[in-house]
Amino acid sequence: MPTIYLGIDVGSVSTNIVALDEQGNVLSSVYLRTRGQPIRAIQEGLRQLVATIGTDISVAGVGTTGSGRSLAAVMVGADVIKNEITAHAVAASYAVPGVQTVLEIGGQDSKIIILRQGIVTDFAMNTVCAAGTGSFLDQQAARLGIPIEEFGRRALESRSPVRIAGRCAVFAESDMIHKQQQGHPLEDIIAGLCEALVRNYLNNVGKGKEILPPVVFQGGVAANAGMRQAFNRALGTEVIVPEHYGVMGALGAALLAREIRPKASAFRGFELTGREFRSGGFECQGCANHCEVVELREGRQVLARWGDRCGKWSNAVAV
Amino acid sequence: MKNKKWRLGVPRALFYYYYGPWWETFFQALGAEVVVSPPTSKEIMDLGVSLAVAEACLPVKVYYGHAAWLAGQVDALFVPRLVSVEKKSFICPKLMGLPDMLRAALKPCPPIIDTTVNLARQPEEGLAAAVQGMARALGVKGSRVDLAMAAAEARYHAWLAGQQQGDSMAAADCREEEPASGVYRSSSSQGKESRDALQIGVIGHGYLIYDQYLGMDIPGKVKRLGGKVILPENLTTLQVEKACRRLPKRLYWTLGRKIMGAALYLMEQENVAGLIHLTAFGCGPDSLVGDLAERYARRRGKPFLLLTLDEHTGEAGLNTRLEAFMDMLYRRRSA
Repeated sequence: MPTIYLGIDVGSVSTNIVALDEQGNVLSSVYLRTRGQPIRAIQEGLRQLVATIGTDISVAGVGTTGSGRSLAAVMVGADVIKNEITAHAVAASYAVPGVQTVLEIGGQDSKIIILRQGIVTDFAMNTVCAAGTGSFLDQQAARLGIPIEEFGRRALESRSPVRIAGRCAVFAESDMIHKQQQGHPLEDIIAGLCEALVRNYLNNVGKGKEILPPVVFQGGVAANAGMRQAFNRALGTEVIVPEHYGVMGALGAALLAREIRPKASAFRGFELTGREFRSGGFECQGCANHCEVVELREGRQVLARWGDRCGKWSNAVAV
Repeated sequence: MKNKKWRLGVPRALFYYYYGPWWETFFQALGAEVVVSPPTSKEIMDLGVSLAVAEACLPVKVYYGHAAWLAGQVDALFVPRLVSVEKKSFICPKLMGLPDMLRAALKPCPPIIDTTVNLARQPEEGLAAAVQGMARALGVKGSRVDLAMAAAEARYHAWLAGQQQGDSMAAADCREEEPASGVYRSSSSQGKESRDALQIGVIGHGYLIYDQYLGMDIPGKVKRLGGKVILPENLTTLQVEKACRRLPKRLYWTLGRKIMGAALYLMEQENVAGLIHLTAFGCGPDSLVGDLAERYARRRGKPFLLLTLDEHTGEAGLNTRLEAFMDMLYRRRSA
């Protein structure tokens, strides 16, 4: 029975699962939209994974990452829970040894990670603004009536990209509408948007960072050829898009699980895809903080609670 | 109100975290009953956010909340007009206007003792005038004022000395360390690489760092991730001022200079692994000081993490950044 390591990345927009073999090769990967329902996405993702690799496997370790990493960890039974920065850095180093800069643009956040000699030396994430992330591109593609898959290809057809304000998604949109009214061709507007987003990313997230090659570009947005070209132009170097660019967080989590090689994995088994999980929340009235407590239940049993500042609820559950 | 015992409200926010012990001792010695608002909670923050002008920074909004919480249960509020607390240096203008802003926002508003504190030109005279003004507001004159001031100074200096020795700090407000919530405890106990304490400098305004709710208890979180925290108040004035002399120009914000000096001092220390700068979204002085500190840190190769707080800040995003920063420092050290 082959041994595998699972990595699960539960993000705001997508939930990704990667299965690695003992040597670190990707056996299978699943990319799903979270659609605000992480529990369902995790169950569906595992179901799809089992459909491709079968159940005749033994899971030796599980790592979770992404903003839903705690939920996923409790539900699935994880051996490692890691933040997205570390997971992405580990995956990028694995895919492109010697990488010095990682550009990652996901659904609602973007980050830059600087590595030297394989060690993260600096990083930054977008702060209060989501302009330039995948969600915005999605929305603009829908507004222009172009499937997101074609968006990047159309940008490559542009001969003179128009200049669009990339500071803010709202202003970028009004700028684009204005340029459309003036009669600029669609591909020039799309290419202009890609350049604006790259400019915004480099000025905000990448502010003051020393971007040295090799540069890896990953995250769902790396699928967009227009964005890749805009980065190439802005940085004056060819960005590398790794094979599994869309699931790098999950890949990193799986690699971390493989790195620690747990004696006995905490994995709760693939049967969990059929179990009924429910999450619920309530506002604790115990003190003036009114913490919003979230709990995860399997059937009638409470698996975990979090969100309380004092630990009154979370500590009441034997995890 | 001469013969009545005053119930005097002191909001536990902003400069309370710098002068609270002084104020409390002084007013108590003058015979007032001092009521300090409870530590910031969601209720107090919500109250402040609903009352304050939208442009104010979050700490100012929280101050409104504390003042409003006290308003109905005290005879007067103590909201000093802090212009300057030392020679040739100033306090943020938003804080100078606090008494006026509160009078406009609180309905009904109790009397406000808004003694002006301005030591910018003549520190001794300025301080004497402020002290006399505070006492006069309570109807006290003469030698009782001198005695009260002596008591306040004594307690204040003892408290400062305690802070420098790393006395669990947390100023007048130091609750017992709370247990980490189940979920994050499990995540931080993961990956036990050589987790000897890393020394981390946490810099920023005291009213962010020491307010566990507003500041999201960053020092506590760093501790739980295995760090040993050094705060600006753990340093001596001399260390801070000396470090500041390296700047080409003198910073004239009192707190900005303190933060910058602490940052410069800490980034020169070999055993300090990294710096975390905690700042409030919309803070004018910090937008300059923070960037300056980051540039100096980069030049010296000292890891630097900027955390910006506002009222919408979710704990998850903050935890991710902190965990990643600590991970980075551990991996750097073991490399």
